[in-house]
Amino acid sequence: MSDMGVIVKTNARALIPLIGIFGCYIVLHGHLTPGGGFQGGATIVGTGLLFLIAFGVDEAKKRINKDLYSALEGVGGLVFLGVAMLGLSVAFFYNVLWHKGPLFNGKPGTLLSAGFLPIMNLGVGLKVFTGLVSAVFALSLFRRWKG
Amino acid sequence: MTWLPFIIIIPLFGAFSMPIVSLLKGKAKEIWATIISFATLIVGIEVFREVWSGGTIVYALGSETPFGKADFPIRIVWEVDKFGAIMVLIITFVSFLAILYSLEYMKHDTGLEKYYTLILILELGMLGIAITGDIFNFYVFLEIMSIASYALVAFRHDTWEGIEAGIKYMFVGSLASSFVLLGIALLYGQYGTLTMGYLAVKMSENPTIVAKIALALFLGGLLFKSGAAPVHMWLADAHPAAPSSISAMLSGLVIKIGGIYAIARVVFSIFWPAINPATVGWIIIIFACITLIVGNAMAVVQEDMKRLLAYSSVGQIGYILLGLGIGIVAYGSKVGEIALAGAIYHTVNHALMKALLFLVAGVVLHELGTRNLNELSGLAKTMPKTTFAFLIGAAAIVGMPPLNGFASKWLIYESSALFNPLLGAIAIIGTAFCTAAYVRVLFTFFGRPSEKVMKAKDPGATMLLPIFILVIAIIGMGLFPWQISDKFMVPAAKSLWDIMGYVISLMGGG
Repeated sequence: MSDMGVIVKTNARALIPLIGIFGCYIVLHGHLTPGGGFQGGATIVGTGLLFLIAFGVDEAKKRINKDLYSALEGVGGLVFLGVAMLGLSVAFFYNVLWHKGPLFNGKPGTLLSAGFLPIMNLGVGLKVFTGLVSAVFALSLFRRWKG
Repeated sequence: MTWLPFIIIIPLFGAFSMPIVSLLKGKAKEIWATIISFATLIVGIEVFREVWSGGTIVYALGSETPFGKADFPIRIVWEVDKFGAIMVLIITFVSFLAILYSLEYMKHDTGLEKYYTLILILELGMLGIAITGDIFNFYVFLEIMSIASYALVAFRHDTWEGIEAGIKYMFVGSLASSFVLLGIALLYGQYGTLTMGYLAVKMSENPTIVAKIALALFLGGLLFKSGAAPVHMWLADAHPAAPSSISAMLSGLVIKIGGIYAIARVVFSIFWPAINPATVGWIIIIFACITLIVGNAMAVVQEDMKRLLAYSSVGQIGYILLGLGIGIVAYGSKVGEIALAGAIYHTVNHALMKALLFLVAGVVLHELGTRNLNELSGLAKTMPKTTFAFLIGAAAIVGMPPLNGFASKWLIYESSALFNPLLGAIAIIGTAFCTAAYVRVLFTFFGRPSEKVMKAKDPGATMLLPIFILVIAIIGMGLFPWQISDKFMVPAAKSLWDIMGYVISLMGGG
């Protein structure tokens, strides 16, 4: 597979960290500003797409481990489910961290507030990022044009 | 402390942990899926018992009650009445058997960790539909179920028919789901709530034309999901193309929970105050009659075994819709009660026997590599156990007296004949076609063995075990038809009719 020219590659080197950091910012501030797990995760996927397009499929094949990504997607889901189960003694999805918990019960508007929401955002962000990257990568590897 | 949340937590945990478990090579993913679905079955039984001993369960997500500081429900509510509990039990039971069956049936396929993830997700979506009391939550679970089934229908993506059926099912299925979503949007815009029981309250205060349009959209979308007659074409392609364990779940469960259960729930628990029962009921009855005739008549002329079973499913959905329609029109009368009980009973029975028949068809396909009935003559010689199971399933679906299909069909015949003799006649004609179709298959099976059949043999134990569990369930239920009907199906029909009870058990806590 051919890849892009030197200008695109250089720009991609500069942009991938910026997109990634911005995506992480959206995920982490999901409970404070617009956006959240899905939006942030989809933004971080932009880094994966840019990497795939700028550096080509062969380079991506060396760096993207299918088992790791699919396991991480499972981990994202399990984090979400596990946090939802924390307050199971009261009810499923009971926000025990906010009501009693040791963490994430700061003043509303600060980063460490909102109970389990930031953790759920992280879980969803991880799941969306790994899921979409694996989907696009699998499509880019799909056999060939002609049968 | 109720068992109810675990019915969602366990399959979800199983599906999310499947990619990690499958990193252990070997049989880990199969064993894990079996354990998870067995645990779900246990929870399903417990939920059933809980509802049957303690009445409707109302479970609010996020707090003890569905109310915050408001006097109306603000949280997502799960509400399981007797009908929902029956559906939960049958879903967990058939799903467990389908997963058990897949262990051997699917072993030649690749990508099995995806397969087991999807099958658990499919089970999760159906269970969610059965337990939810929130209309948007219902839509989410409907989509979980639908998307998992699109992917599973096209699971064997190296065959042309898997892809073709998957694309057809996905395109029209997404359209049908979007009808449901549009209906929900209209209802939310008009009434400002998404809780089913509270929507019924708001609707009784102010029945509007918007509610009627929303109901039309719901019925359109959900009749599609159930495979009723003018929109049954996806079913006849999807069931043959899917792996047989999936066909058993699609035909036994998905079309009932996403179609019949959802229609019953939406009509009775949400829209009842706003509608004219006669109109809605007769619309359903008309679709039911078309479905009955079309499905069963098309089953007679099929040469593909699984396609025949798929059309037969369409025909049986016609019976269930007929019972449901009469149950709506004849609300409050004895005839309506019998019809609705018959519809619920037939839902359960058909799930069991159609799962059995599809699993048997899967055995034939697995051993012989063909589904063409013309090549399968004399199967009884070389695969006696399989043929016996098919004989039981076919006799049950036609409605032979010692088996379970008899009682449920009898309730539907009786009520439709009492309600309107013409409907009774149509039901009988449908059964005549159905009998013709299955007798034809049985004649093929008991004929002179063909070349191809001579070297076939019965499958291994893990494939026969689920089949014979289903055979025992069918015979066992057939021995106590009226006891089951009086003890379970009639109370379930009554609880579905008891709209005030549904609302009060939701609002009572506040």
